[in-house]
Amino acid sequence: MKKELKLKVNGQPYELFVKPKTLLVEVLRDLVGLTGTKRGCSSSSCGACTVMLNGMSVKSCSVLALQANGAEVVTVEGLAKGNELSPLQRAFLDHGSYQCGFCTPGMLMSTTALLTENPKPTKLEIKEGIDGNICRCTGYNSIVRAVTAVVKGEYKEAK
Amino acid sequence: MSYHCPVCKKISNKSALDLARHMIGRGDKVHRDWINSKGFKYSELLALQFSSFGGEGFKSLAEVLEKEAKVKD
Amino acid sequence: MSDYSVIGKRVHNIDGTEKVTGSAKYTFDVVLPNMLYGKVLRSPHPHAKILKIDTRRAKRLVGVKAVVTGKDTLGRKHGIWRRFPELCDEEILCRAKARYIGDAVAAVAAIDEDTAEEALDLIEVEYEPLPAVFDPMDAIKEGAPQIHEGVELNINVNRHIEWGDVDEAFEKCDYIREDKFKCSSQAHVCMETHDAVASFGYNGKLEVWTSTQSSYYIQRLYADMLDMNESDIRVINRHTGGGFGSKFELDSAQFCAAILSQKLCQPVKIVLTREEEFTATKRRTPMYYFLKLGAKKDGTMLAKEVRVITEGGAYTAMGATALYLTGFFSSFPYKYPNYRYDGYRAYTNTAPTSAMRGFGAPQSTFVGESQIDMMAEDLGIDPVEIRRKNGMTPDYEVPGQAFIQSCGLHQCLDKIDEHLKKRGKLPPNHGIGIASYGFMSGGIFNWFNTPYAFSAAVVRINIDGKVDVYTGACDIGQGSNTTLAMICAEELGVRLEDIRVFSGDTGICPPDLGAWGSRQTLMSGNAVKRAAAECKQQLLEFAGAKMGVNIVYDLDIKDRWVHLVDRPERGVSYFDIVKGAIRGKDGNAIMGRGYYTPHRKGMISPAYSFGVQAAEVAVDVETGRYKLLNVTTAHESGTVINPVGIEGQLEGAIMMAGGYGFCEDQPMDDGKILNPSIADYKLIRSLDMPETEILEIDTYEPEGPFGAKEAGEGLTNPTAGAIGNAIYKAVGVRINDLPITPEKVLKALKEKEKQ
Ligand code: FES
Ligand code: FES
Ligand SMILES: [Zn+2]
Repeated sequence: MKKELKLKVNGQPYELFVKPKTLLVEVLRDLVGLTGTKRGCSSSSCGACTVMLNGMSVKSCSVLALQANGAEVVTVEGLAKGNELSPLQRAFLDHGSYQCGFCTPGMLMSTTALLTENPKPTKLEIKEGIDGNICRCTGYNSIVRAVTAVVKGEYKEAK
Repeated sequence: MSYHCPVCKKISNKSALDLARHMIGRGDKVHRDWINSKGFKYSELLALQFSSFGGEGFKSLAEVLEKEAKVKD
Repeated sequence: MSDYSVIGKRVHNIDGTEKVTGSAKYTFDVVLPNMLYGKVLRSPHPHAKILKIDTRRAKRLVGVKAVVTGKDTLGRKHGIWRRFPELCDEEILCRAKARYIGDAVAAVAAIDEDTAEEALDLIEVEYEPLPAVFDPMDAIKEGAPQIHEGVELNINVNRHIEWGDVDEAFEKCDYIREDKFKCSSQAHVCMETHDAVASFGYNGKLEVWTSTQSSYYIQRLYADMLDMNESDIRVINRHTGGGFGSKFELDSAQFCAAILSQKLCQPVKIVLTREEEFTATKRRTPMYYFLKLGAKKDGTMLAKEVRVITEGGAYTAMGATALYLTGFFSSFPYKYPNYRYDGYRAYTNTAPTSAMRGFGAPQSTFVGESQIDMMAEDLGIDPVEIRRKNGMTPDYEVPGQAFIQSCGLHQCLDKIDEHLKKRGKLPPNHGIGIASYGFMSGGIFNWFNTPYAFSAAVVRINIDGKVDVYTGACDIGQGSNTTLAMICAEELGVRLEDIRVFSGDTGICPPDLGAWGSRQTLMSGNAVKRAAAECKQQLLEFAGAKMGVNIVYDLDIKDRWVHLVDRPERGVSYFDIVKGAIRGKDGNAIMGRGYYTPHRKGMISPAYSFGVQAAEVAVDVETGRYKLLNVTTAHESGTVINPVGIEGQLEGAIMMAGGYGFCEDQPMDDGKILNPSIADYKLIRSLDMPETEILEIDTYEPEGPFGAKEAGEGLTNPTAGAIGNAIYKAVGVRINDLPITPEKVLKALKEKEKQ
């Protein structure tokens, strides 16, 4: 039956009751109500559902919600500080790194996680960082350019 | 010289081959039936288009049309 | 050059901030009070009679609210070739017969997706499997299973295009080549799968949120299928997670959600799973291609003959258009004095094939550009040279078919030539192949309800000077809302941030056929431009009176400044003029209407864009594997309205078209698609993505808004052909069937060794 789940999403603590088979992505979208995280495949192969779990990028369609008990989750909604966009978000805007935008939340989370782990990735490392994310619209290169610009320090962190 | 399709209003003033192409191309029931009534198999003539070059299917039909579809000016 | 203040600037898409913050709302995210979730049951047989459907057990499951089958529908058939009833052949919920694995036979609405899923297992369908046919060559044989009643030999449609005297011309050729090719299928793989939230009210009206390329088509197809008035149906499209040709026909998510909602007067949401998306939506048309090409010794091409048979799948869909366009674009971008095309589309018991970005032209460009390279080699002519010799030029008439005004093909060839020379000698097993292409800026034809295509728009200026654009165009990620906003801002003389766009909502937007065939920039763009011009005219009339100028035309607006053309410093703020003009009209907003239709502009399109692409590959001869290193494209699309948008379209097209050449495929076994998941369907990921370079060519298209034309779809055409030619340059093997996999390359290399 349902079990208690405590987790923090974008800094906000939640206490929920979920079935053992409920997925993290379902908790985020359906129970917490943050629909920025998308689902493109539900089988861990498109990256649209990528979020950060304790600082690491994970595909939230392949994480059981209860596995996230006690964890800190960051979703795309947690990237901006107030009304200030994060450097990556601003770089994505300038470089046209989104079109339909459906993969964008996942792309932003994968690249944010990458830069948290490795603030100075090479171009190849950036490409590797998003190899698990499919984008059918942009052809990836504009995303790589945006991340490169952030790595170069062209976008300052919002205070 | 022009060639008149035996079953519809199409007139070709090029050649019997051109008219043969028209008849196979139209491929509706009346054209098919006429072609079949001359001892051909429409489906075979059609398949021939996609398996061989040279338009052999067209040519054999054109020979018949040469005799039957002529309209003298 | 130009002194545009908005057009050609690097801007953020007007919905960019929503998209990078996760606040953009897609149909996938829509939740309504009292909403139910639906699921669709699909045929496991490629061809089967439906003898009986027993839904009783499913209905008894706790949480299930309704189960529907074909019996609950009016039994109508729909099709996008609505003016040709014999081509409207798809029931969506099958009543008597299923025609492919994935054909819908029943649908369930329940309190949640899990319950709906469980209920599907409880529906008992008794089928009588029928003999099935999968290959178009088999489908046209005598005695093949008949897929649609009355359609003998399964020939769905055929098309014939001809000019000149082809037979006579071949007699005069010094050299003739005959080649066969096979073009594979391709899945659209929109990141947002097909989905809909349908809400039927007690007032008998239907509201639907859906992911679509044309709200207009969906509204009208619903009206046919449900026997409702169009105006009682409101189709709303906000953000759409990709389309690429897959989302402008009524689909099973949309139809089943509406039928279920109609029964319950409760909103019903259906989101197709990724597997359904692969197996039960439409896909790119596979084609068998037979080409005969004749030339003089000097490389002048005199005649081309083309025969095509396409795998239609179970229904007509947009496949009839793909058949026509592949035939027309087989002549592109060259001046063939004599040309003949015969195309046939055969029904098969496979998932229906239809429109996909490029719409028949990626196929014709792959085969045509492969063959012209072979021809050039046989004749000992440089590939660039043979294209120069025969390439289209401005003001060229495709005999009896189309008139081409602007055309920058030759400049593109020059640029690519420079690029090739700059690359110089390549390392061993590296090769660069080129391919030229042309594409349309929206179809003139319309088989839906009017003979011609059209777009309409309304522009409204509010008292604060802010501008609302209402357009039936659909922004599916290609950025049309931004492009249209830029056109409006430029025409009106305001800034981009002054514009708000309302699009793709049939409840408030004027009709527009939507986003397909690259029509929005030119057609919707012209409509918006005219609507904005009408508003501007009203403002200038008022300004003229107020400023005491004699002739209205002496005034203009630029960057929110209403001024005399000759003395720009003499002027008034745009906002003051708007305020004054609206006060003078007793508060009535300023409104303009715009319309565009390409009457008497040929048969295909009012304008064409051109380009040449060079793809560089490195082949590993041990394994046949190869890497796409660089794709450089010289292209022209008239005036560039949104440069960031065009770069994105270009790079995105390379991902998709490169995938078509490189790896994407849908292998089948007796009509069953074998790789219906993103893990198994190979597409280009970031590590496989080549470097991309763009060489922009300036042209001006008189028919387009501010000289603009198509920019996103044509770019899908050249890549597969360029890759094929590059492989040949690199290692001397020619692959005539797509995709060009390592296995095929290796096999060809081994065969070559034997010789
Ligand atoms: S939805 Fe999780 S990876 Fe695709
Ligand atoms: S922007 Fe559409 S999938 Fe990436
Ligand atoms: Zn006839």
